Amino acid sequence: MTAEQATEAAPNVRTGVPRRTGGRASFLQVVRVIWLREILIYFRDKPRMISAFTMPVIMLVMFGEGLGKSIAPLPGGIDYRQFIFPGMVAMIVLMNSIFAGVSIVTDRQFGFLREILVAPVSRAAICIGKISGGATIALVNGSVMFAIAPILGIDISLIVVAKLLPLIALISFMLTGVGVALGSRLRSVESFQMISQMAIFPAMFLSGIFFPINNVPTWMDVLVKLNPVTYAVAPIREIALSEQLAAIPEDAPFQITHVELFGHTLSTFEEIGIVVAFGALMLVIAIRAIQTTE
Amino acid sequence: MPFGGAPGGDTHHAVALLRAIRSERDDRWMPPSVRVSNLTRRFGEITAVDDVSFEVGEAEIFGFLGPNGAGKTTTISMLCTLLTPTAGQAYVGGHEVGEDAGAVRREIGIVFQDSTVDERLTARENLVFHGELFGMPRNEIRPRAEQLLERVELADRADDAVLTFSGGMRRRLEVARGLMHWPSVLFLDEPTVGLDPQTRRSLWAYARSLRETEGVTIFLTTHYMDEAEACDRVAIMDYGKIIALDTPEHLKATLGGDVVSVSGADNEALAREVRESFEVEPRIENDAVEFNVERGGDFVPILLARLKNPVQSVGIRAPTLEDVFVSLTGHQIRDTSFSEQDKFRSMQKRGFGRRMR
Repeated sequence: MTAEQATEAAPNVRTGVPRRTGGRASFLQVVRVIWLREILIYFRDKPRMISAFTMPVIMLVMFGEGLGKSIAPLPGGIDYRQFIFPGMVAMIVLMNSIFAGVSIVTDRQFGFLREILVAPVSRAAICIGKISGGATIALVNGSVMFAIAPILGIDISLIVVAKLLPLIALISFMLTGVGVALGSRLRSVESFQMISQMAIFPAMFLSGIFFPINNVPTWMDVLVKLNPVTYAVAPIREIALSEQLAAIPEDAPFQITHVELFGHTLSTFEEIGIVVAFGALMLVIAIRAIQTTE
Repeated sequence: MPFGGAPGGDTHHAVALLRAIRSERDDRWMPPSVRVSNLTRRFGEITAVDDVSFEVGEAEIFGFLGPNGAGKTTTISMLCTLLTPTAGQAYVGGHEVGEDAGAVRREIGIVFQDSTVDERLTARENLVFHGELFGMPRNEIRPRAEQLLERVELADRADDAVLTFSGGMRRRLEVARGLMHWPSVLFLDEPTVGLDPQTRRSLWAYARSLRETEGVTIFLTTHYMDEAEACDRVAIMDYGKIIALDTPEHLKATLGGDVVSVSGADNEALAREVRESFEVEPRIENDAVEFNVERGGDFVPILLARLKNPVQSVGIRAPTLEDVFVSLTGHQIRDTSFSEQDKFRSMQKRGFGRRMR
């Protein structure tokens, strides 16, 4: 018997059950179903939902009210609470994005990852589905901050929010790539938590979330500029505080935002460009990680 | 006229019957569901699967029987495209596992040794997710899930999170999920390990009924004798090789009759005496002298009358596949004393058997 003969579909004669050949899931279908599962699981996990944005809210209140009172107004008369609000949005997105990678680790622990990996589907689609799921959750959490902004005494217009949402979606996608790449390499939830904390904390403190980046010592300046999160925080703040920033005089002691790279002050679009480039790199790394995972 | 009729009519009838048989046979001819030739898998120095060849027919229940580390899971992993063969070919549903892994994966359903259902989703969601992942037409997914949940008797728990399910329920759900996308071959790797006897029996009954209702070929590995007995054909595997392949009845028939076991104070002497006076080949198993003989019930009185060595107990039983295994390999399936190589094998299996491509 030749291979050609063997490829003809054989009817089930003995039992007479018609054989149905299943279709083939398209790339987008796979992305969609993986994404959907992430969302479904997230919204069933109420404690995780609540814990995800309590910390930034606490920080915003503590830092803004406590520390802010003792800090002199920043150039342009921007008060500290207003300054860190966009930073807190970035932080919530950062934490949720990186932590989304844990879903791969738990899938592996439950054994469910095998179910996904033995399906006749593209691993790249699995990866993009996972990233989109995590990014959506990060975006939802980031948006919750805008919803509670008035309660926290933050003044932000709907137009600004509308401008910020696509940017936050982009940043979520980029940072979730990091989480997914990490998750597909680690075997236990504990090690994932350890490693992700180790990644999140320096990235958080060296990104301009808490203080202006253009007024730091040189050694820190180098670290800040190597930190990809810096390029995500800056545009959020630039859009959120565009009116106040425009009021800062040229001869202010330092500009509170816009990353200066090699003597060149990056525009908001250039910063977003760096975010996109980094996101693309992370996507490639995450896809590679999933393709080679066992 | 109930039978035959005129002589001419008889001839006519016979010809028609022959023709019918022939055409039926032609219709029945079909490529086997699984065709394996000279399949080999090595892990470094160890040859886990050694030049194995066999075929599995459409809608057959085919079992791989052997001790842990015999190469069953490694073989099944290669057939499921989870492991690349070192040498040889394997066709599943007409597709070569190495050349077209995607096509093979669409043809098969897999139930792993360890649970792979999502505990946080409901039973129904697990099935729907699977259907979507396998690209089933949207309008067929839910009815199909419904039908399968019905069939494995989980319909009343369809919308409960799997977290609340017992081991047997989970396994049934996994079987249902494996069947979701109408696979032509369902692989069950040690499907009833870790389940209590009652659940094992009911799961097995489900598997058999599913073969009838789904028309699916069932390919399973097991080290339980009763499970192997229920297969249409069994391949006995040991040290990476298939040492026998036939129906359980034929395999047991090769032993020739019933198993008679006698034990006394000195089994060695008893064995010697049995060998000398009855022209049988006794072996010492389970602290008794065992041998096979036709019509054991008639034989025992003669045996007892003639034996000079004192006998403490005597038993007769129908041969099992365990006896077949012992007579072929000289050791028992559930040998507790693992040799060094066995340990290494099972270690290799743990490390490599789960490797994905």
